[in-house]
Amino acid sequence: MLDVTSLLESIKAEPYTEMPVRAPHTGVINFAGVREGDRVMGPCGEWKEVPGTRIATITREHNPKPVAAFDKGVIQVLNLEMEGHFVEAGTEIAVLRHYLSRDEVVRIILRKSLQLFCAPERAKYYFVPDVDKKVKISGSRSVTVQDGMELFIVSRMKREVPLIYHGAEGVIYEVYFKQNENVDAGSPLIGVCPPDQIAQIEDVIARVQMDWTEAE
Amino acid sequence: MENNHKVLIANRGEIAVRIMKACRKLGLEFVSVYTAEDSSSGHVRLARETGGPKSLYRISSYHDANELLSVADDAGATAVHPGYGFFAEDFRFARRVTERSRPLIFIGPSWRVIRELGDKINTKRLARSLGVPTVPGSDRPIYDELEAEKVARTLFDFQLQQGVARPLVLVKASAGGGGMGIEEVRDVDLFRSVYRRIRNYAMRQFKDEGVLIEQRIRDFNHLEVQIVSDRSGKNPVHFGTRNCSIQSTGLQKRVEVAPGFDPSSVHYDFDAARVLEDITGHALAMARKVGYDNVGTWEWIVTRDGHPYLMEVNTRIQVENGVSASIARVNGEKVDLIAEQIRVGLGEPLGYTQEDVTFEGVGVEYRIIAEDPSANFTPWVGNIERFSWEEHPWLSMHTHLPPLSPEAPYAIPTEFDPNLALAIIWGKDLNEVRERGMDFLEHLVLEGRNGKSEGLKSDVEFLKQNTARMLRF
Repeated sequence: MLDVTSLLESIKAEPYTEMPVRAPHTGVINFAGVREGDRVMGPCGEWKEVPGTRIATITREHNPKPVAAFDKGVIQVLNLEMEGHFVEAGTEIAVLRHYLSRDEVVRIILRKSLQLFCAPERAKYYFVPDVDKKVKISGSRSVTVQDGMELFIVSRMKREVPLIYHGAEGVIYEVYFKQNENVDAGSPLIGVCPPDQIAQIEDVIARVQMDWTEAE
Repeated sequence: MENNHKVLIANRGEIAVRIMKACRKLGLEFVSVYTAEDSSSGHVRLARETGGPKSLYRISSYHDANELLSVADDAGATAVHPGYGFFAEDFRFARRVTERSRPLIFIGPSWRVIRELGDKINTKRLARSLGVPTVPGSDRPIYDELEAEKVARTLFDFQLQQGVARPLVLVKASAGGGGMGIEEVRDVDLFRSVYRRIRNYAMRQFKDEGVLIEQRIRDFNHLEVQIVSDRSGKNPVHFGTRNCSIQSTGLQKRVEVAPGFDPSSVHYDFDAARVLEDITGHALAMARKVGYDNVGTWEWIVTRDGHPYLMEVNTRIQVENGVSASIARVNGEKVDLIAEQIRVGLGEPLGYTQEDVTFEGVGVEYRIIAEDPSANFTPWVGNIERFSWEEHPWLSMHTHLPPLSPEAPYAIPTEFDPNLALAIIWGKDLNEVRERGMDFLEHLVLEGRNGKSEGLKSDVEFLKQNTARMLRF
């Protein structure tokens, strides 16, 4: 079983991640008045319907598109020298330091505890229609997978082929991919929890909920 | 022609390279775009090396019209070349380009023509109104399973009445193209499962569940007529026919030969010359009727007994344009159809008539693709380490691969088809083009490895095996 204590200690030693904020597309950039050191919020609301703090606006073809913080954190670097210039997609416009929340720590630990089924190749992945319907209606934890079950559709270069699940029988505890987004080879698609380990996993989650103090 | 134009190349890979070269030939400036996945593509390298100021921009997607047009404005472009795929047959994009506050020239047919002919259903209706034969089947997209099954049953019954021993029906995603989203049904009782599979695929890939249901004609040749016309829409000429019958199991073209039939060296059980004459005549009649005003392709099925049926019209330049150009001469001179497309697209009159277009010899185009023909042509993904060939005066190679070595390989992006190159070979007759084709393929060097250190898989052996049966039924 995973040594949760030492894993938590190692996360506590550096309880944040630094993530670049990149121009999502080309256009003329105007910063929104935030400064280095400012705290920003990520999207919130039940459906993440409230956008994060606006960092900049990129205008292309008369369409201003806000570039918002994708998570809460502190602005570490802001490339204000780009103000008013035409930027290309992928240009780094800021760096955001994000302090890990309880849920994120739980997710990190789950990723190390669950039995992961990984993408064999870079492609887009979908659940087969029957499973997809069940996940959408009742959530992924309502689906039990077994070795040899046809679970995914792999879509790459306009080709679609089925993908068989190989691994332990259990419920799909976590889903790590999003529809219509590419998943790199080796990245996890799902985390499966065998029925006899559900209680242990829930204990781990409860412990993190108690032990972890959020930095912000 | 005014050469103060700057052309935005709204595409990637091989066609982007071809458009850049055509622009340089015509003395035009260009601006090219690329996405992160394409940063090591040859089209990016060529734009860096040969483009002027503001000639290369990184964008987030080739599908984002806003980005493309903002690049056009920042770079000072005056025209947009869509290439093939992406926005090439999107009439809304063509209309937006030409009707915005800073209008640009769309180097392709006008948006009304694309709307008229780009839709398979409209094309079928127009063709039927002009007495052009079309494949029996639905003349509008079907969204209802029961209705779809009813149409399929009618087509099965129709074929049985015609004496077809093993009738087949084709289910196609109506918004699809390029051979994608097509499946055949052999047994009407299995229709529903195929219908649902295509409908789900169409929804995922094209966000449109509509399907077309047609009679599946077996044992046919796939022919094309290449049309070029100027902005007047009154002077279409054809650049001959192509035969694209050698395809992968997924109905995607692998070998194209021009002309479409060669009655001088192959025996056909029907009057092949007459069929070629008929399909070019029908294509020109339809082009005149709609005022066709750029390049386009009329695609045909020709049955073993010599009956042609119009499949669809592609209102764009096609991958295989080069093979038609390889056998065509305008007033005795060689022709580059991409340059012709740009020239007439920018408003130049065509400047010649059908009588000035002549044909010489036979051309073949091989599509060299990283894929595994023995595994249903599954795309192969990995690094290309070596790619070289012997130069010949009868060979044109079009590729977007940069110079390679095992130390500096080219990683095939998984976001796009693993096409590597187009090899176009000319010969004075079918025998010579076959010999030259085999010679080229035998001497081609193509090596690579994937993440598991497995060797590259390509369609080269498939191309060799099919060289002998070119232009035969």
